[in-house]
Amino acid sequence: MHLFVITLVRRTMVYLLVAATLVGCSESGPAEPETQGAQPRMRLVTTDQYVNTLMYVFGSSVHTQGEFSPAERTEGLLANGAAVAGVSASLLEQFQRTAASVAAQVVDEGHRHYLIPCKPASEDAADNVCATEFLSKTGRLLFGRALNDAEITAYVASAETAAESLEDFYRGLATALEGMLISPDFLFVLENAEPDPRTPGKLRLDAYSVASRLSYFFWNASPDAELLDAAESGELQTEDGLARAVDRMLASPRLDSGMRAFFDDMFAFDDFNTLSKDPLIYPTFTSVTAVAAREQTLRTVINHLINNEEDYRDLFTTRSTFISPELAVLYDMPAPSGWTPYTFPPDSLRAGLLTHVSFLALHAHPGRSSPTLRGKALRELLLCQHVPPPPPDVDFSVIMDANAHYPTQRERVAAHLENPSCAGCHRVTDPTGLSLENFNGEGRVRLRENNVLIDATGDLDGVKFENVVGLGQALRNNTALPACLVQRLYSYGSGGPTGAQDNQLLEYFNERFAAGGYRLPNLLRTIGLSESFSRVKDGWSPAPMEPEPDVDNSPEQHIASNTHNAEPTVQSVEGVKK
Amino acid sequence: MNNSGKYLQSRLSNISRILPRIAVAATLLTGSGTILLSGSDAALAEAPPGGRIGYVLTNRMYAVYETDESVQCPDGLNLGPRELFAKRFPDDGTKRTVVETQLKLEGENWHSNAEENLVAPYREPQGNISYGLNLDGQTGPNDFQSPDGEDGIDNQFYRVVGCTNNYMKAGSLRHFVNVFMVQYNSNRWVFELTGVDDLTNDDEVTLTTYRGRDPLLADATGEGYIPGGTQRIDMRWGKEFIMQIQGKIVDGILTTEPIEHIKVPASSTFNTNGYESYLGLRFQLALTPKAAKGTMAGFMDIDKFRHWRNTTWSTHHQSYGQESASSMYSALHRHADGYPDAVTGQNTAISMAQEVTFVQTYIMHPSEKTNQVAAASLN
Repeated sequence: MHLFVITLVRRTMVYLLVAATLVGCSESGPAEPETQGAQPRMRLVTTDQYVNTLMYVFGSSVHTQGEFSPAERTEGLLANGAAVAGVSASLLEQFQRTAASVAAQVVDEGHRHYLIPCKPASEDAADNVCATEFLSKTGRLLFGRALNDAEITAYVASAETAAESLEDFYRGLATALEGMLISPDFLFVLENAEPDPRTPGKLRLDAYSVASRLSYFFWNASPDAELLDAAESGELQTEDGLARAVDRMLASPRLDSGMRAFFDDMFAFDDFNTLSKDPLIYPTFTSVTAVAAREQTLRTVINHLINNEEDYRDLFTTRSTFISPELAVLYDMPAPSGWTPYTFPPDSLRAGLLTHVSFLALHAHPGRSSPTLRGKALRELLLCQHVPPPPPDVDFSVIMDANAHYPTQRERVAAHLENPSCAGCHRVTDPTGLSLENFNGEGRVRLRENNVLIDATGDLDGVKFENVVGLGQALRNNTALPACLVQRLYSYGSGGPTGAQDNQLLEYFNERFAAGGYRLPNLLRTIGLSESFSRVKDGWSPAPMEPEPDVDNSPEQHIASNTHNAEPTVQSVEGVKK
Repeated sequence: MNNSGKYLQSRLSNISRILPRIAVAATLLTGSGTILLSGSDAALAEAPPGGRIGYVLTNRMYAVYETDESVQCPDGLNLGPRELFAKRFPDDGTKRTVVETQLKLEGENWHSNAEENLVAPYREPQGNISYGLNLDGQTGPNDFQSPDGEDGIDNQFYRVVGCTNNYMKAGSLRHFVNVFMVQYNSNRWVFELTGVDDLTNDDEVTLTTYRGRDPLLADATGEGYIPGGTQRIDMRWGKEFIMQIQGKIVDGILTTEPIEHIKVPASSTFNTNGYESYLGLRFQLALTPKAAKGTMAGFMDIDKFRHWRNTTWSTHHQSYGQESASSMYSALHRHADGYPDAVTGQNTAISMAQEVTFVQTYIMHPSEKTNQVAAASLN
C-alpha cells in the first residue's frame, strides 16, 4: 500500500508537470488542424478488456477463465480488427461460459457480503429492492453508463423470475448478472454522437462515449465510477473537466495495464500464442521462455515509458531491461527467481528492443534465423511501412537447398537479389535483418555461422552501421519511428485505422510528440485532449435498428429490446459501420 | 575391501576437518568481453568464467549392474511385502487379527526377521561385475570388477539389491526418486567447482556442495533439463548440506577426495523433509561446460539407511518394487563392509555407488546480485 501511494503521488506530480508543460507548448506551438472526424465505432471487447473490467468491478479474487477468439489484425493492430468483428456462435458460447462462472462467483458466500451492497429479506426468495440496488450499480459499471428504467426493470424481473423458480435470491441475482455479462452493451464498446454546442453544425461523441473511448485507450477497461460521474455531470464535455479526467487517468496505476495492451498489440505479440521452435534445434526455447520473452519486453517498455518517463526512441538503444531465470538461459547469464532489473554491459550486443529475445525469436523460423522476417517486422511494426508478400511463384529452392554452399544467411538471402521479382522487397528488409544475424533463431548470441564469422553490417534508409548496436541507433534516429507510434496510438485510441484524411492531424501530433521530448504520457495527453479524438464525421447517423423477431414476451426479450443503443445485435457489427 | 573397514576409517581421519565456506568470492569482470559463446564444447579446454562453475543434480539412482536376469538372479527376484504376506498368512481359513498380520509386518520393518527369510530366502545377484568405485584402493575377495575391467570395485549394496525389482531399471524407485527430486525444490542439490584453471586438466579444484532453492528448467521436449539456469543457495535451512572437498581434473574427469560425512537432500512423497546420509562419499564425474555425469560412491550407515527408507518410503511404495524392508535389513548386515563399531567390531556401513547426472547452473550466493554474477559469468 505504501509503495502504491508513493507511486500514485509521484505519477500525479509528474502528470501535473506534464500538463503545465503542455499548456506552455500549446501557447507557442501549432494549433490542432481541423479534422472531419471519424464515425462513432462499435468494437468487440478483447479478452484483456473483458478481464480488466471484471477485475476492476469485482476485484481480483473473482476469476475469469479462458481466452476469447482474437480479432483479425487490421492495419497493424488487432484493435482495428475488433472494430469490424462479429460474434460467432462459438464465441458467444465462450462469453456465456465465462459469464456464468463470474456471476456464480460474485454471489457465492465468499464474495456476496462485500460485492452485493444489500442483504435480501430472505435468501430463499426474490427481493426486488436489493436486486435493483445491485443490478443498477453493477450494470452502470459494466455498460459504462447508467441503465435506464426499462433496462433495470427487465434485469430485476429476470432476477425475480429465477429466484422464485430456484428458491434462491442469490442464484436469481446471478442469472440476471450473467445476462448482463453477455449483453451486447457489455461485450461491445458502443459510441454515440451528439451535436457539438461549441461548434454548431458539427457532431461530437456524447459524454459516455468520450468516457468509454478514454478508458479503453488509457486503461484497456471500461470507465470507473468517477469517470462516469464526470460524464453524467457534463464535466467531461468541458475543457477543464476533460483535462482533469485525462490527468487522473494518466496518473492511475491502471495506465500500466492499458499501455501493456497497446504495445502488445503494436508489437504483434499475439503471435507468441502460436510461436514454436524445433525442440531438437532449440531445446532451451520452451513455452515458458516464450511467455517470459513477451513479458520482458513489456516490462521494459512500461518501465521506460511510464515509470521513468523516458524518450520513446531510446527504447531501441537502452541496455536497461528485466530478467527472469527462464529467460536468462538464452542470455547466457544467471538470474534469481522472479523479475530483476538488469543492465546489459556497455560493450555487449544487447541494446534495445531489437535485441530482446521477443523480437528475435518471434521473427525467425522454427529452426533458423530469418533476416527477411526480422527486417520485415522492423519495417512494418516499428516504422509502419508495408512490405508486400512474396510473389506466388517465388522459387525457394536456392534458399532451401541443404547442399548449397552458403555458409551464412548473408550469402543465402543474396540469392534473392538475383531474382528481380524478389529483389525489390529484399533490398528493403534484408539490410536491416542481416544486422540481427548475430542472434540465432531463438535469440541467443552467436558470432559465427557454420564456423564463418558473421558479417552483421547493414543499412537503414542510407544510414550504414557495423552491427546491431548501430542498427538500434539508426532506428532510434529514424523519423518514421516516432511517427509510427503516433499513428498506431491514435488509431488504437480512436478505434479504427487512419487514412490520408488524417495526415495533417498526425503531423500535428508528431510535432507535439517531438516538442514534448518523445515522452509517451505527453502524447497520450495530447491525443486524449484533442478535438479530433471526440470529433464525429458530419452527416453520421446511427444505423437503422434491425426489426426484432416477435418470439415471446419474456424478461430476456425486454432486456434485448430496451438496450441503450439501437445497434447492439450480436450477429454482425459491420453493418453498423457502413 | 576385506570387510574390516579399518583402512578407510584411518584414511578419513587424516583428512582435515571440513568447514563450509559460505561465500565464494566472485571475480567480477565488469564489462569486459561480453559476447558469450553458447557454452559449446569448444570451450572445454578453457577456464570457466571466474574460475568457477556450478552444476545441479537432475538424475540419480543406485548403480545396479544388470545382465541376463536368469544369470544374474537364477532363483528370480526377491518377494515384496505383498507376496511375503500371502506366503506367511495364506488364505486357509485361519482367523487372524490385524495386529497379528499387517501391524506385525509393519513392526518387523524395523527389525531383522529370520522368520521371513525362512519363508522366502533372500536372493542376491550372482557374478562379480558391478558398477562403482574402488573406495579403499585395494582389491579384496568380495570386491567386484567394473564392466570396464577395473578391479577392486566396492559396492556391496549391489549384493543387497541386485535382485530386488525396485532398484533395477524396471523398478519404480528410479522413477519416483527423480520425480520427487524435480518436484520438490527442497531436494535441489548443487555443487560448485572453484579455482578451476582448466576444465579438462587441473591439479587442484575445490568442490562445495549446497542445497539450491530454485526449480530445474525442463527442455523443450520435456524429457531433459537445460543448462544455464540459476540456483540461489539455501543459507537459511540448508547449511547442513554445505560440504567442501578438494579434487582434480584429469582428461575431463573430476575425481575428488572422500567427504567424511555428507547429507544429501532427499525428500519423498508429500515433501517430507528428508535427507540421505553418506560416509566417505567421493565423485568421479566427466565434466563439460554443460554437464557433469558419472558416479558418486561411498558408504551408507545401514541403520540410517533403514530409517530413511521406512520413514520416506512406506510399505505401500516398497510393495510396488517388491522391496521388503525387514528382509533387506538382514542382507545389509550381512554385507556391511565399512566403519566397524568400536566395541563390537561389526561393520555399521555398506559400500554403494550411484549414477548421477548434473547440468550446469549459475550459482548465486546470498551476497551476490544479478549484475555481479552476470558480469562474472561473462568471458
